[in-house]
Amino acid sequence: MIKVLFFGPIAAATGEREVSVEYMTGVTLGSLKEKLAARYPEAMHLATMMAVNGEHARDLSLPLADNSEVAFMAKFSGG
Amino acid sequence: MKDAVRIQAEDFSQDEEIAALKGSSKRMGGVATFLGCARDFSEGREVSEISFDAYGTMALSELKKLRDDAIEKYALLDVRIVHRLGTVSGGDNIVLIAAGAEHRVAALEACRWMIDELKQRVPIWKKETTPQGESWVTPHP
Repeated sequence: MIKVLFFGPIAAATGEREVSVEYMTGVTLGSLKEKLAARYPEAMHLATMMAVNGEHARDLSLPLADNSEVAFMAKFSGG
Repeated sequence: MKDAVRIQAEDFSQDEEIAALKGSSKRMGGVATFLGCARDFSEGREVSEISFDAYGTMALSELKKLRDDAIEKYALLDVRIVHRLGTVSGGDNIVLIAAGAEHRVAALEACRWMIDELKQRVPIWKKETTPQGESWVTPHP
């Protein structure tokens, strides 16, 4: 399984803070994003930032391993 | 002693953080700070509360990297960063960045750099409560 995390405005838009997505061989950050966009179109429209296992990720072709933790995040507004 | 980089709900003491910073080295000739505070007015609306959400583990990790990067980039002697989460009201403290260096220019420039980088790198989100309802803040450039 892949653990997907949502925070702030994206958590508000999805109504979820965490969802599990079944791992499939060959899944990439981009294909996971597309899958979630079909389920949460409004929320994923806000997802301009991404992280994999707690590190910033920008490459949508990045392959994901089973048990990865992926966050799709809106632009940050801390400070 | 408290960690140099923290995310916490409770308020912080600038005096304590600066004392801890100064205590790290007697070569320190300049300390610069940035204190981010909650405003009670934003985008033409009164703001009664600001609440924060964060990807906690990543936010702390990014703040620690930011401290390391600033120390290397500006040859600082020490840096402390504290960011609050939870809910705050107008006038409350949000974030403190304190940089100590041998000379003032490095400390001042590093402080400006760190708050700008924090806003780009650290996964924290701010929600304002106004008479019109709640809204997530759109970052300013």
